[in-house]
Amino acid sequence: MNPVIRSLGEFVRGAGFALVLLVVLLAVNLMLNPARFHPAAWGTLIGLAAPLIGAAVASAPVILAGRGGIDISVGPLMGFVNAIVIQALFLQAGISSPLVLVPAALLIGAVVGAANGFMATVLRIQPIVATLGTYLILAGVTLTILPAPVGPAPAWLKAMAGPYSILPLGAIFLLWWLVRRTPYYDQLMAVGSDDRAAYTAGVPVTKVRFIAYVMTGVLAGIAGLMLTALIGSADPNIGPTYTLIAIAAVSLGGVSLAGGKGGLVGAAIGAIAIFLLQSLLTAFNVSTYVLQVAYGAILVAAVVLTALQDRHALRGVSR
Amino acid sequence: MNALRSWLATTNGRIAAAFLVALLLHLIGTTLIPGYSSPFAIRAILVLAALLAVASVGQTLTVIIGGIDLSIPFVIGFANVVAAQLYGQGWNFVLVCTLVGLLAIVIGGLNGLISRGLNIHPLIVTLGVGMIVQGLVLLWTKGFPSGSAPPAVSAFVSIGGSVGPLPVPWLVPSVAVMTALIVLVLARTPYGRRLYALGSNPGAAPLALIDPLKMWVVTYAASAFFAAVAGVLLLGFTGSAYGDVGQPYLFQTIAAVVVGGAALVGGRGSYLGTIAGVLVLTEINTLLIGLGFKPAAVQAALGLIIVVLVSLYGRERHVSQTI
Repeated sequence: MNPVIRSLGEFVRGAGFALVLLVVLLAVNLMLNPARFHPAAWGTLIGLAAPLIGAAVASAPVILAGRGGIDISVGPLMGFVNAIVIQALFLQAGISSPLVLVPAALLIGAVVGAANGFMATVLRIQPIVATLGTYLILAGVTLTILPAPVGPAPAWLKAMAGPYSILPLGAIFLLWWLVRRTPYYDQLMAVGSDDRAAYTAGVPVTKVRFIAYVMTGVLAGIAGLMLTALIGSADPNIGPTYTLIAIAAVSLGGVSLAGGKGGLVGAAIGAIAIFLLQSLLTAFNVSTYVLQVAYGAILVAAVVLTALQDRHALRGVSR
Repeated sequence: MNALRSWLATTNGRIAAAFLVALLLHLIGTTLIPGYSSPFAIRAILVLAALLAVASVGQTLTVIIGGIDLSIPFVIGFANVVAAQLYGQGWNFVLVCTLVGLLAIVIGGLNGLISRGLNIHPLIVTLGVGMIVQGLVLLWTKGFPSGSAPPAVSAFVSIGGSVGPLPVPWLVPSVAVMTALIVLVLARTPYGRRLYALGSNPGAAPLALIDPLKMWVVTYAASAFFAAVAGVLLLGFTGSAYGDVGQPYLFQTIAAVVVGGAALVGGRGSYLGTIAGVLVLTEINTLLIGLGFKPAAVQAALGLIIVVLVSLYGRERHVSQTI
């Protein structure tokens, strides 16, 4: 079979449910709220969804690397980048040039990612514990340097909130497209599916996993910038709320938490589905409590349906 | 040095190391902070540790079986609010506790059923179920829970309480008895042995006639039940209902289990280890607050200390050692 069609087929099977959910939610949203979902408003919508997409995409590489790989510090890292960029660099040091702020955000992401990677792969602390430590440290430090929300953000960064937020998202996917073309991608998926087999086949398991953590950190840095663009200020309390939702989005998008299955596009689709769900429920003007129930219920229903679909597919194969 | 290393790699070694760390932290606190070892301070530490110990039972069991339970904070909040609300409406408190306990068992059973039955990672399932539970509670109380704890529960957990000549509330000896029972159940009953067997090798356990689905349902039901108990006890401790009362316990229970030497891949760990972890965490918290750190700084320091402790004695094997 044509490799393009085959990988497309694999993709649809993996993220299939999220994709269906996404289309349905988009249609319902369009019907119920045509003004908000008018094509002219799509730019704004993408801007609103960008931080969640960024957080989900950032969470994916370490999950792909397998053996309990997970980074729960993604949310606080976004908040930390937000705080450093606005409070320390822009307001206190007076630096507003994107040529400094963007590399600074990426560097912070890479350093935190490398620290997580060092703990999870070299020290071999269980990833959820290592990143829990980072979570607590980053959230605590963020609150210490930024006890209350401050603003504003530099004008160029605020301008990135609308249609232009497609630029960082596009950059992320271009980067991922390039990674997929390298041998590293195959090694990552091999390590994620069966690290013992990969190790005996000569794959440098530790190095591959370490790089995955650095990638997650860098992507979380970008997500932190997108969050900063959206809120146009610095807020110490928003970042950490992204962690669990991002992991839910990743899982919804067909990335197996056991590793080795799925990709960044699936994660993004899961995130968009969750974002559409949020807007739909908000459009109904229901109380936040109903929102939360529906939110949890659809999350569970989505993973259950995905699992049933997988089981069905497996049965088809064994027959 | 090597003998020490290999001893630290055993479960008993890790537990002993965690207890030593707790003791060391207490000694540091006593030297640095006047009154750290005063009877009242020790009583407060014991009560806080006992509450965390009850909340961590479920996390220990689910981690040994190879899962994790993120619904614990939500079930704590659920039990806390529902018990207060129903008691405030004039229900008999025993009836209230029975109802809350049964509902928690249903919630937990559902967690286990979905996770194991459909092979979905429990992280996602317990998170989703927890969010539903919390939303329903908020919806029912319209966000403003009312009611309070009966005086008996408050006296049971009060820091100023006493058991005959012992200057601690009934909670502390009860948790000690509970610990002994849980250790016994894990070490000496078919359920306990099955739990470890299933956790260390999910593939082989069914061949030894262990029903994985049943084990997961029972274990997650137990986890939710203990979370509900913690919720009711917290109601007595704080005096009024608060839906988010369980939130700090999300990460603290995981940290306690891991500091106590359990591996999150399943099959390893013990409740005695969790108790050691609980003591370490409570000591760290009390010490840092006593040293005048702000809550945000305490949180950051807690993260750092968890990482340092686990890197000292909670390291996993290299992949080349697992082949």
